[in-house]
Amino acid sequence: MARRAEPPDGGWGWMVVLSAFFQSALVFGVLRSFGVFFVEFVAAFEEQAARVSWIVSIGIAVQQFGSPVGSALSTKFGPRPVVMTGGILAALGMLLASFATSLTHLYLSIGLLSGCGWALTFAPTMACVSCYFSRRRSLATGLALTGVGLSSFAFSPLFQWLLSYYAWRGALILVSALSLHLVACGALLRPLFLADDTAVGGPGAQLNSLLHHGPFLRYTVALTLINTGYFIPYIHLVAHLQDLGWDPLPAAFLLSVAAISDLVGRVASGWLGDAVPGPVARLLMLWNTLTGVFLALFPVAQSSTALVALAVAYGFTSGALTPVVFSVLPELVGTGRIYCGLGLLQMIESLGGLLGAPLSGYLRDVTGNYTASFVVAGAFLLAGSGVLITLPHFFSCFSATISRPQDLVTEPLETKVPLPNEKQED
Amino acid sequence: MRALLGLRGLRGLTLALLPFLCLLVAALPSLADGEDPDSPFTTLPVQEDDMMAIDSNHSLEIHNISLTEYSTMPIEKNITLDRPSAVKLICELTTSGDLNSVNVTWKKGDDVLENNYPTSATGNILYTQYLLTISNSKQMGSYSCLFQEEKVLRGTFNFKVPELHGKNKPLISYVGDSTVLTCKCEDCFPLNWTWYSSNGSVQVPVGSQQNKHVVNGTHANETRLRITQLLEEDGGSYWCHALFQLGESEEHIELVVLSYLVPLKPFLAIVAEVVLLVTIILLCEKYTQKKQQPLDGGKEFEQIEQLKSDDTNGVENNAPRLRKTEPAGQ
Repeated sequence: MARRAEPPDGGWGWMVVLSAFFQSALVFGVLRSFGVFFVEFVAAFEEQAARVSWIVSIGIAVQQFGSPVGSALSTKFGPRPVVMTGGILAALGMLLASFATSLTHLYLSIGLLSGCGWALTFAPTMACVSCYFSRRRSLATGLALTGVGLSSFAFSPLFQWLLSYYAWRGALILVSALSLHLVACGALLRPLFLADDTAVGGPGAQLNSLLHHGPFLRYTVALTLINTGYFIPYIHLVAHLQDLGWDPLPAAFLLSVAAISDLVGRVASGWLGDAVPGPVARLLMLWNTLTGVFLALFPVAQSSTALVALAVAYGFTSGALTPVVFSVLPELVGTGRIYCGLGLLQMIESLGGLLGAPLSGYLRDVTGNYTASFVVAGAFLLAGSGVLITLPHFFSCFSATISRPQDLVTEPLETKVPLPNEKQED
Repeated sequence: MRALLGLRGLRGLTLALLPFLCLLVAALPSLADGEDPDSPFTTLPVQEDDMMAIDSNHSLEIHNISLTEYSTMPIEKNITLDRPSAVKLICELTTSGDLNSVNVTWKKGDDVLENNYPTSATGNILYTQYLLTISNSKQMGSYSCLFQEEKVLRGTFNFKVPELHGKNKPLISYVGDSTVLTCKCEDCFPLNWTWYSSNGSVQVPVGSQQNKHVVNGTHANETRLRITQLLEEDGGSYWCHALFQLGESEEHIELVVLSYLVPLKPFLAIVAEVVLLVTIILLCEKYTQKKQQPLDGGKEFEQIEQLKSDDTNGVENNAPRLRKTEPAGQ
């Protein structure tokens, strides 16, 4: 198969974006909408809500910690077989869950098995999108990630309807059938062979080289800090509003408004990321700083209009963050190592996610309101911004495409004597 | 000696008269002014029903309805009782007309009650009260106070046993599964809970098969019926009955038992659709590749193009490459 020098930036790439759209919808949309099953599980197994919510927590943890495995496998076999296997595993987990007789059964089937399936699908797909695009990478990633937002809207009422018609066992069977579409999405991921891929070795060597790559490690630290603060509003906003005296329905409506502006933010940021010259990391820092500022302002706002405006602004900037996060990575590590890089990134940044929510809850319990937790979350985001400034070429005026193949070439240059190796690369 | 006896006697008489004197002193201001506006019933004679109200077995419930001469609609108040209680019903009428000309009656349903209810007036407000003890289901119902001027003004107190809450939507379960039907009421303590299942209009008590049906409840105000090893015939209407001293109430719960084939059919349909999609996608790809392969006879041509682009990349990269080695030392 002939190798391309440049990513196609279109053509079949848009089908890959479509596949990624449905993928992110089926993975994260299902995870986010799983809350409607909680009530049913609590009633059916007569367990506390805290123990039931471990199901989704285990699923998310397995998905994020398993990402490096998915990435390593896709480096070796290509994304298509890995994603299709992941889809089958995810659907199988849901199917087995429908026969559950105890909560442990659900932990293992949905949490572990479906989680493994999701780990094998998400990171390889996003990496594949990054492979297919270079000039329009941010836009493509942004469009792909809108799947998450739209599916959260669509799946909650759908699951509710399934529950009322089929009860939770039947509903799980049908969600399993829905998750099987991940296999079809995987089929769309045609392998692409780029010139850069030849420079790197197998998955083990790639992982090793990534762990010694300074900019990548700094980026990981930045993202972990960002992740710690990122999810706080989604978890605590409704409770904070109720503390201020809002009714549950307007509070939930405010979250929906934030979700819509999140969607708009993703697409707008994707387009902007490609239109603006220079490293994409600068845009990431911009959106990140704004998100941190808005987050810290939440406790200050008391009136309804101020809160609504803040929610819209926060939604926009936090949505704008997401596609840019994926676009920065190829600039740092090159498309050859993109799969491993993304997998490793997902795994390490998940630590931030795991840390953030309990920390915020702890602050709430200690201080009595959410002021401290919002301010601390904003501080984490701003700290992430600070680390982002230390990334290479942050203040340069060159665009990303030139620096990309160069990063890959300088890696071995750092470890070996420069002159003889230059000739070898050519 | 006689003086001493006289003194003692006088002291004893004073001691005996002291409570009466105290009462008189207390009652003097109210006798002088008429009614104390805060408590209109201090001058009313204490009835026997009031004494019963202070009895520890029963609790006293006081309920109030206010009517004005402009009330066009009859006012109703719903009162929930689950155990025998002493009840004090108070109606007050605010009117600008002459209070003495108002005719006051109390009715239970349509029957007029006996004429021994105290009525009092303060300013332009007329108060009437009715005391009763409700101890069995016959005494439940609607009690009304009627003020008759030019038109009749009516206030009604409706006594009901607590309502039960089940689920409004049907409970869905599967063959071989187990399910729990719950009935509960707020702040109530029924004497007894029973479950019935009905096919059509016949109600059959539930609980005959020991392993299949288990009735228990963690609190007094709820009952749970657990049915294990469901079969399709177990579906249908279920009724939970709560028996109170003052009556009974019931609630209907619908149970639907589905077989696994019901969700399995759409599942298989969707699986078939996914397999079809995957096949189409892979076939399309093979087809387009086959189309390209005859053109790939010029593979060398492509490789030459590749080398050309590599060369140009190499030239472009020379200058930035040199620059990069400095910060790369870190």
